[in-house]
Order: sequence, then structure tokens, then C-alpha cells
Amino acid sequence: MALVRYDCTMQEGQIGEEMRSRLAAGLVELTGRVLDVGADEVTVGFADIPQGFGFRGGVLSTTSLVRGSIAGGLEQPVRVELMQAICDMWMEISGCTVDELVVSARDA
Amino acid sequence: MPYYRCVVPEGSVAFEQRAAVAKAFTDVHCGSTGAPRSFVHVVFDETPDARFAEPYFVDGGNRAGRSEEVKAELLSDLLGAFASITGVEESQLGGRITEGPASWTMEGGMVLPEPGEETEEWYAHDGVAAGG
Repeated sequence: MALVRYDCTMQEGQIGEEMRSRLAAGLVELTGRVLDVGADEVTVGFADIPQGFGFRGGVLSTTSLVRGSIAGGLEQPVRVELMQAICDMWMEISGCTVDELVVSARDA
Repeated sequence: MPYYRCVVPEGSVAFEQRAAVAKAFTDVHCGSTGAPRSFVHVVFDETPDARFAEPYFVDGGNRAGRSEEVKAELLSDLLGAFASITGVEESQLGGRITEGPASWTMEGGMVLPEPGEETEEWYAHDGVAAGG
């Protein structure tokens, strides 16, 4: 079982396959750097919300959600470092704004 | 957060109804909790979920820290709005609100504050205030 699992949910049509590969590689790299875990201990999955099925603030959403689950849990300063690293990487690769991204790092 | 996932049968809820439910949920949640509107995420999922007995189910995830009374009223109002807009009978509709620590989530580049500990800076954040 992987130590870290990421479930990434995006609005359909916003992020293509090539970019997903880069995002997945980025998640694996930064997780290894922040948490000192091997690449084989990180899994990444992607799912789309069909157009017209995702809303934020009562209007159609352009937000992506990255939900991390970390076996054994994290101390809060490390959690914040991990979430910030995910935000930075995701915005750089996808071009989204900080307001189009929600990141969580949950104890599992 | 909050994140409301509405499990519905395939093709059962039209776009106009989904949009109306999303707006109603945002109104209900913000009216109950005072949270900024852009906090509220509403997603419709036509994938059957065997965990729920009812064919229509509102699966909510909120920040921990609110009273049981607030949570019960919130869920009741959400389900009432869903039923009113979609016409779904209440016997076919279920719901729950689960909670997690606010500190586990970063939104708008900021770690979420605990309920009742929101700062002016948080409310003033452009993305939050704009409902984006």
C-alpha cells in the first residue's frame, strides 16, 4: 500500500493528458522531497467532473481539487509545506490561478 | 470546503436544476455559517454509490468545529432545497455531513481557518470575496 495517495479532480476539458503526466510527476517529485519517501510509495489518480456538473459559489467551477492522504499522518508544519509545494507546482504547470485550486493533505 | 457531492441517478437532474441546487446550497451554507460564497463547492455525480441506500444522496464535507444544532439545521435545509428544486420525494433522498480539520486544507493559497477563527485577511482575499 502506498504511503501517499493523491486523488485529483478537475473540471472536464481543462487539463489534458500530457499535462496530467507532468502534474503526476510533479506530485511524486515534491512528495519525495518534502516527505522523504520513494516514488513507489506515491500514487496519483485523476478524475474529471463533467461539464455542467461542478459548481463553486453557485456558478460553474474552474477549480481543481488535489486530495492527498498520508499514511501515518503529518505534523502541521510539514503538512503546510507539502500543500504549499503542491500549490506552487500545480499553478506553474497548469497555469491556473491560486483561486482555482484546493489542496488537502489528510492523515490516513 | 465545504464540498457537497450530490449522488443522483444518471440523467435525472437537468442542468438548470443542478445550477439551481448549487446556488441554493451556497445560499443555505453561507446563511447558516457566514462562510464566503466561494468556499462552497457543489458537484453532481451520476456514478452509483453502494454506500448509500437512497438513490439521491447529498454527501457533504465541512470544516470541523460547528455545533450539532448548526449541522443538523444545515443538513435539513440542504435536503429541503434539493427536494424542492428537483421534485425528488424525501423518501428517496438521504444526506450526511462529515467533518475534517480545517488545517488539512489549503484554498486560495491559504490554510483554511477553523470555524469562528476567520480573519479579515481571509474574507478580504480576492478569490474568496469574488466567488471565483
